[in-house]
Amino acid sequence: MSVHDLLKEYIETGRIKLDKSKHPELTTYHDPCNYGRKSERTFGHGYYEEPRWIVQQCVENFVDTYPTKVNNYCCGAGGGAWAMPYAEERIYYGRVKVKQIKDTGAEMLIAPCHNCRDQIMKSLRQEYDMMDLEVKYLWELVADSLVIEGVDE
Amino acid sequence: MQSEPLVLSKREKRKLAGEYPDLCLTCGTCAGGCPVTGVDGMDMRKAVRMALLGLDQELIDSRFPWICTLCARCEHGCPMSIDLLKMMRSARTHRERDKVPGVLHKGVVQCLKSGNNVGIPKEDYLFLLEDLGVELAEELPGFRVPVDDKGARILVTINSKEPFAEPEDMFFWWKIFYAAKESWTTTSENWEGVNWGLFTGDDESMKEVVRRIVEHYKSLECEYLLLPE
Repeated sequence: MSVHDLLKEYIETGRIKLDKSKHPELTTYHDPCNYGRKSERTFGHGYYEEPRWIVQQCVENFVDTYPTKVNNYCCGAGGGAWAMPYAEERIYYGRVKVKQIKDTGAEMLIAPCHNCRDQIMKSLRQEYDMMDLEVKYLWELVADSLVIEGVDE
Repeated sequence: MQSEPLVLSKREKRKLAGEYPDLCLTCGTCAGGCPVTGVDGMDMRKAVRMALLGLDQELIDSRFPWICTLCARCEHGCPMSIDLLKMMRSARTHRERDKVPGVLHKGVVQCLKSGNNVGIPKEDYLFLLEDLGVELAEELPGFRVPVDDKGARILVTINSKEPFAEPEDMFFWWKIFYAAKESWTTTSENWEGVNWGLFTGDDESMKEVVRRIVEHYKSLECEYLLLPE
């Protein structure tokens, strides 16, 4: 089961409750290659719509990148590049992603992939002067938006 | 540099499994859309020409199959639907294991040996889960981390990066499971969800790591498997 299917199921069936007023900032989404193009090619379904829907249940203002979905650019750390010694090339690769993100004007970026999140949060932000950008996992955003019965009420 | 003409007929049979590279129209769509075109004077179109001309070993020995992130934009755009990723990953497969760049192959070996890519011992792992569980229970009354719970609805793998370096990042999913009153479990052994054989082109190791997860899934009688990668 994909993380997207599970989170969507929780939200749609009311098993979890979310408060989007916790995230008023303009937010964008990064399509990981594995959940998008490669999932589409391998399993016949690319996860493009589900994560965008989930994000929009957690934030008030959403903006997409250009290009998007199947035509979106890789963060630059795919294929194991995050764990390879070619840091200079990895950062150079990421310049395209950085431009896409900056062009949206978003203050927060959501990524449902460990590699993508680390590349953007721990490397590209520093290298390309965008430390003001907040980067979260998709499930981190959901966890931060939760209203838990008996705990928050 | 090569001073003699390349005699293609004398070269060994093509190793790279790229399917139908002979259909390439040399249009350059692949190279035109790729952020690392030009690095080392290489690009995807040249890589296809190399495979086609029998320069397999030159491609295998080059950095390009590893600088390429296998993102599949080129393959998506290719008008002839050439299986470019298969070709590039296959070039990685043919790289001698001790020449795989960085820590990736070491991680694969470590995973086969210890059950996770960074070699966290079972006792340390279980101690960490219990300790973090107690911490989270202060915020979420009654919370605990289920380990090897038979009959749980969802089997969850763990990215070893988290117990190794960012343990509190595991709280995100745990909070969601708690809020959803989910029946889930992790395992005490072979819990690694990051399969680096995918990146190193090592199908045998990759299958073994998957086999172990499927074994848990069956023996614990879970309904779903969740790999939060």
